[in-house]
Amino acid sequence: MDFRAVRTIIAGALVALAACSDRRPETAGDGVARQSSSTPAPLAVRYSQHIAAGGAPAPGDSLRNPYDGDQKSATEGEKLFSSMNCDGCHGGGAVGFVGPSLSDGRWRYGGSDGAIFQSIHSGRPKGMPAFGGLLSPEIIWKLVTYLQSLPVPKSVPTQAW
Amino acid sequence: MKPLPAVVALLALLQGRVSSATAQSAQDDGRWTMPGKNYAATRYSGLNQLTPQNVQRLKPVWSFSTGVLRGHEGQPLVVNNTMYVVTPYPNVLYAFDLTKPDYPLTWTYRPNVAPNPLDIACCDAINRGAFYADGKIVYNLLDGHTVAIDAASGREIWNVKVADLADGETTPMAPLVVRDRVIVGPSGGEFGIYGWAKGLDLATGKLVWTARNAGSDSATLTRPGVFKSFYDKGPNLGLTTWEKDTWKTAGAPVWGWLSYDAALDLVYFGVGNPGPWNPEQRAGDNKWSNSVLARRPGDGALVWAYQFTPHDNWDYDSNAEMILADLTVNSRPRKVLVHFDKNGFAYTLDRTNGEVLVAEPFVSLNWATRIDRATGRPVLDSSKFTGASRGNVKYICPSLEGGKSPVSAAAFSPRTNLFYVSTVNLCMDYHAEVKARIRGTPFIGASTPYVAGPGGHMGEFIAWDAASGKKIWGIKERYPVWSGVVVTAGDIAFYGTLDGWLKAVNARTGEPLWKFKVGSGVVGAPITYRGPDGRQYVAVYAGIGGDWSLISGDLNADDPSDVRDPADFISDLARYTTQGGMVWIFAL
Repeated sequence: MDFRAVRTIIAGALVALAACSDRRPETAGDGVARQSSSTPAPLAVRYSQHIAAGGAPAPGDSLRNPYDGDQKSATEGEKLFSSMNCDGCHGGGAVGFVGPSLSDGRWRYGGSDGAIFQSIHSGRPKGMPAFGGLLSPEIIWKLVTYLQSLPVPKSVPTQAW
Repeated sequence: MKPLPAVVALLALLQGRVSSATAQSAQDDGRWTMPGKNYAATRYSGLNQLTPQNVQRLKPVWSFSTGVLRGHEGQPLVVNNTMYVVTPYPNVLYAFDLTKPDYPLTWTYRPNVAPNPLDIACCDAINRGAFYADGKIVYNLLDGHTVAIDAASGREIWNVKVADLADGETTPMAPLVVRDRVIVGPSGGEFGIYGWAKGLDLATGKLVWTARNAGSDSATLTRPGVFKSFYDKGPNLGLTTWEKDTWKTAGAPVWGWLSYDAALDLVYFGVGNPGPWNPEQRAGDNKWSNSVLARRPGDGALVWAYQFTPHDNWDYDSNAEMILADLTVNSRPRKVLVHFDKNGFAYTLDRTNGEVLVAEPFVSLNWATRIDRATGRPVLDSSKFTGASRGNVKYICPSLEGGKSPVSAAAFSPRTNLFYVSTVNLCMDYHAEVKARIRGTPFIGASTPYVAGPGGHMGEFIAWDAASGKKIWGIKERYPVWSGVVVTAGDIAFYGTLDGWLKAVNARTGEPLWKFKVGSGVVGAPITYRGPDGRQYVAVYAGIGGDWSLISGDLNADDPSDVRDPADFISDLARYTTQGGMVWIFAL
């Protein structure tokens, strides 16, 4: 039953994706390798918070979100955030519940494109499941696009009564 | 030879204690060996040195930081002149020597427990305590393991996997041990688990039986001739009361407190909510979610069951404690089981068969008008039905925090014949949506914002007469009252508050007598015990958490990458408390 339900959800998500595939954002001219639909996620992703011993970064890739800033992808990502049950842990609107807030502009494991992708794709040790066996890179990027579209609140560090 | 003056002083102290002791005090062994103090789960102590006349002089004599910030539910154990403390994740077990000055640690046990349940366990990475039996401290690690530790040496005797994290099961509950059987269950009502209780062998940890809370009679260990419920009859009720095969993802977890009647040889425990929260995805009564089950500890066989909230629309888990008492109800002495359900009704059941003797609201509620004693079923208000097709259903009382949280175990005094109960006065909107289960992810599907209930206060500590179904007195609190309770032969009841006070009140009148700020909100349960010096002590955990570290949003200070706004309904709790686990001990 689980598997059937999941296949249905993914089929639905893929249909949604196909419907908008003609609206892929253009490639940025920054020379960074792109994740294409057929490319698996890299074994390691670098992000800015990593500290490199000796100043020499370990082998690893950088990833860029192919849908960066695309509103339609963000809207699809918002639907996926619910249909993949992300809201069950991170709360509706990603404001945080059992899992951390993803809408406060702060990131436990980094907020770069590749870091968020990696969190969803491969999971994280405090309970974040790995979705990479279930979701294609395109679908994961839609989720990344949604999270990056959330407005970061002002004046986060201070709480006053 | 010890100095003579000390001996004289000790003798004087002992004589003083004995001469002032009542028969009840003499009967109390002064220990605290299981979560509910005794198998009846009364959390009543026969110690009586503390009285309404002297409790004002109660003062802290010792405190200890557990080094852990998550919610400190549960309670310490005191046995063999040792205090045993289980922390929330990472589930460290401390053994303090109460015979030595400063109560130094005799040993510390640090299990190898996986971090994965940290952000899975709902709600918060808590632990509800240990059970002492046969020289062992038995408790659950959050990652689905049960361990038995030698109480004298701290050595691990066995460590067995009982639950499956990958399926959403975690294990914060406190086991119950009866003879050679250890009974455990999982959390995971928000993950669509297939709920169960298991019986393990106390000597080895080996699995003896698994009893599902839904499914066929063979899965639920329901046998003809053994199963004799007052209301529900017939085969396969755990199968036929679920739409299609939805029982396979029933939820129906076991994360609350267990009790035991030796004469009937029955273990009682509550079962939690069905999944998902959108009731339209699981037509039927959904047995045995939101029920009390009476099982034989030896083989797990189901003897009777009663469902408090059939076809749950509101996340009204029934994991709260089942307190066993002998009361006179309608002029008849009855063996009863008293239960304060999340749904807002206090039930007094015949514990031999599950017949409802009394069922009255103990908080404001509006989802039902009454419980029909002839059928045992609630009489519902259809305007409060929820479901994805109904959109946002407004103002349902109580909220899914419950009229009482199952976390905060109540107490019963045989001296006053009253129950002492921490209650919650919140209402909610309930906006359900369709959800598909994806194994290892949440299976919830409802948005449920809260608001303070009638009167505006969010909590009240009450005394309840379970024979008549009436509140005798109450003390209103600004915030939900979420601590457990202990009541003593000195007629003192102790409870704690979310803003960090431990309070003592007169158990007969409800008069506030004493309070002390313990530094962080109290979600654990105070206990009382007799120390090696013959004096009566009170111990409690400080350390807010559980639901409050999730839904209050701004209480947690330990993760700079997770900053949240306070919840609208409780926007100022973080002015008074943050996280912080402490053990406190008080004495005159």
